[in-house]
Amino acid sequence: MRFHVVKRDNCPLWKKLCLYVLAVAAALGLGALVLLALGVDPVSYYYRMFTMGMVGNKIAYKTFENYLKVFVPLALTSVALSLAFKMRFWNIGGEGQFILGAIAAATVAFKLGPVLPGAVTLLLMCLSAMLLAGLYGAFVAVLKVKFGTNETLMTLMLNYIALYILTFLGEAKADWNFYLDPNSVRPIFASFSDIVTFPKIPLVGKFGLNVCVLFTLVIGVLVFVYLKYTKHGYEIAVVGDSVGTAHYAGMKVNAIVLRTVFLSACLIGLAAAFKVGTAGILSTAITDDVGWTGIIVAWLSQMNTAIIFLVSALISMLRYGSTVAAATFSQVDSSFANMLQGSILFLVLAADFYTRFRVVPVQKGGKTNGNG
Amino acid sequence: MKKILAMVMAMAMVLSLAACGGGDKPSTSAGSAASGAASSGAAGTSDAADFKVGAIYINSKNDTAGYTYAHHHGITTAMEELGMDPATQLVIQDEIPEDEQQVLTAIDTLVGEGANIIFGISFGYIDAMEKAAAEYPDVVFSHATGYKCNDTNFNNYFGRAYQARYLAGIAAGLKSLETGNNNIGYVAAYGTEYAETCSGINGFALGAQSVNPDAKVYVKKLGAWADEVNESAFAKELIDSYKCGVISQHCDSAQPQIAAQDAGVFGCGYNSDMTADAPNAHLTAAIWNWNVYYRTAIEAAMTCGDASNYVSTLGSGAWYGGLKEGFVDVSPLNEATCAAGTQEAIDAVKELIISGEWDVFSGVKLHITVADGAATVEKADEALVDNTGAEIVAAGGPSVEDSVITGTMNYFVAGVEEA
Repeated sequence: MRFHVVKRDNCPLWKKLCLYVLAVAAALGLGALVLLALGVDPVSYYYRMFTMGMVGNKIAYKTFENYLKVFVPLALTSVALSLAFKMRFWNIGGEGQFILGAIAAATVAFKLGPVLPGAVTLLLMCLSAMLLAGLYGAFVAVLKVKFGTNETLMTLMLNYIALYILTFLGEAKADWNFYLDPNSVRPIFASFSDIVTFPKIPLVGKFGLNVCVLFTLVIGVLVFVYLKYTKHGYEIAVVGDSVGTAHYAGMKVNAIVLRTVFLSACLIGLAAAFKVGTAGILSTAITDDVGWTGIIVAWLSQMNTAIIFLVSALISMLRYGSTVAAATFSQVDSSFANMLQGSILFLVLAADFYTRFRVVPVQKGGKTNGNG
Repeated sequence: MKKILAMVMAMAMVLSLAACGGGDKPSTSAGSAASGAASSGAAGTSDAADFKVGAIYINSKNDTAGYTYAHHHGITTAMEELGMDPATQLVIQDEIPEDEQQVLTAIDTLVGEGANIIFGISFGYIDAMEKAAAEYPDVVFSHATGYKCNDTNFNNYFGRAYQARYLAGIAAGLKSLETGNNNIGYVAAYGTEYAETCSGINGFALGAQSVNPDAKVYVKKLGAWADEVNESAFAKELIDSYKCGVISQHCDSAQPQIAAQDAGVFGCGYNSDMTADAPNAHLTAAIWNWNVYYRTAIEAAMTCGDASNYVSTLGSGAWYGGLKEGFVDVSPLNEATCAAGTQEAIDAVKELIISGEWDVFSGVKLHITVADGAATVEKADEALVDNTGAEIVAAGGPSVEDSVITGTMNYFVAGVEEA
């Protein structure tokens, strides 16, 4: 018997949801097999992971604060990437844009922090990070519209340039290098947390909500509205579907590409400013891989802003939860999270395939047994 | 057709995995279901059974060699010696980069798990550990390779690796005499930038010169603490271009030793006994017995009554052990490769160092001759000179300060050259 792949006209929502839930469950099942092979009880491991060890923890509020510190940069970066992805501009340069944003924010904190009021410094940190990261992204967009270069390769390679700039700043012991701690013989980054950091709003007990969480949610809503209800958003969608159609409709495609990529990279820079402004210090691991993970989140969410927040929350829980769970399960290390994340992506994308296509047997004579 | 088949297989896989996922839930056959509840005892108030040790590693806790492995092995050995069960009483956050926020998060996790003492093994954890020590006064913090401490619950620890390096240098020097090749190679993470690597290279060179005054040490820098590809490539370069007959190393993996074996030359490892990795090349390795410190620290934290008494119980905020404490040593000599008399020469020098009679970076040099299975050690007042000819310690003068060895040493002694 032969099979044929046939396009589905429209897959009902319940079916879609079922497929996605099934895919995630399958990934967790795959993880469970690995855990079993390691001699770990998957139920108790997953329990620790999804509760992030907060049950019975006397400093659970800390856990939640730390979780939000993972969530904010990831959610914002994913939202930013989705802007470019919607236009089919493959911005793989989230890491590099994040790093440059972080450097810009730290520079402002060190240089202007001591002389300006905190709120002004924080605002300038955000703006400078957005500008530098935005230009770094727009640079690639310019090359693309002017010379037709491949943005995937360009953004990818610029990541490493940014990373090595940061590594250089972290290792070059010199008088000019104000990023380093002058009191340490070995080069380590200096902290500016005494000068300026994003404030926390005291809520319940000892728990304080970092203002960046609120900003991120607001930006999420704005991006949602921007994409769904504005002319710009419509243009992005059209360019993403067909550049030819956009041209035909009289849209200035180059301007739209430049504008959108700049905005995308700006928001990544803002995520970096939030991260650095919360940590109060640079680090060569400052991105925490959000530039990469953000790509996965954006794809898993199919560029839907609301779903990005949901998926970011889940992936952050998975990443943070698995490091917490690894503390007590000595056989499992934190790379389990990467494996699980990869399986979820693979299986959800596989499930996504079945929401858009179906596999039907081919009848004798080659006629397809379907109406698609 | 192939494409279609692949898709069907993918679907079948999805479905079968989903089925597995459902079936796994009631599974009770698995082994250790570690207890989730955080124990709440503060340091010192708990006995061995509910004392919890926390550790933050730079690499994976499942490593089988290298820096993180050496620490992990030291902690588990110490806990077992103290009658503790690492499976339930040791909580670990591994693969934590030198990123303040990530280190602080790891500490929060370990404190949440009820850790009474937390060890951080990488230098870059220094500021995070200092902050955490202030934030959690009832938990003990102990930081390897750092220099910060307080008067109550935060100390640092490191060892006189240069003493073990000197002994390994003797083995290398005797081998160079035996092979008639005075060139010795040294693959180092860094050179004079860090006192840690610098003092190790100098100690090793002085040891080699004690038996072979003509020995030259060529240092090739990696610019990273671990870089397996270059660790191997640089060792090959030292062998091929600098004609080195013995390869020493200050880096994480056994790659330089394996490269030495492949080229038919010899080598001295580091961190752990690398004879198993390169049985035809490896002479001996300068090693750390981290369990010596970990036992001391865990005992102090358990018996000090309150975390705030921890530093005073240890006696100092900076623990700096050497051959005397058994904290550093050389691994058992590889009989198949070491030159005759190596053991005797090493034993004689070890005794001088342990008794406190002599130390490596002083104005007194040892001249060792080996004959008929016996080593003769002669002391001579000679200045310690760097490789530009500048005098560091006058002839007969006292050893340089510990703070120099751990912090500011930034010169190579005579006979050391950067390759």
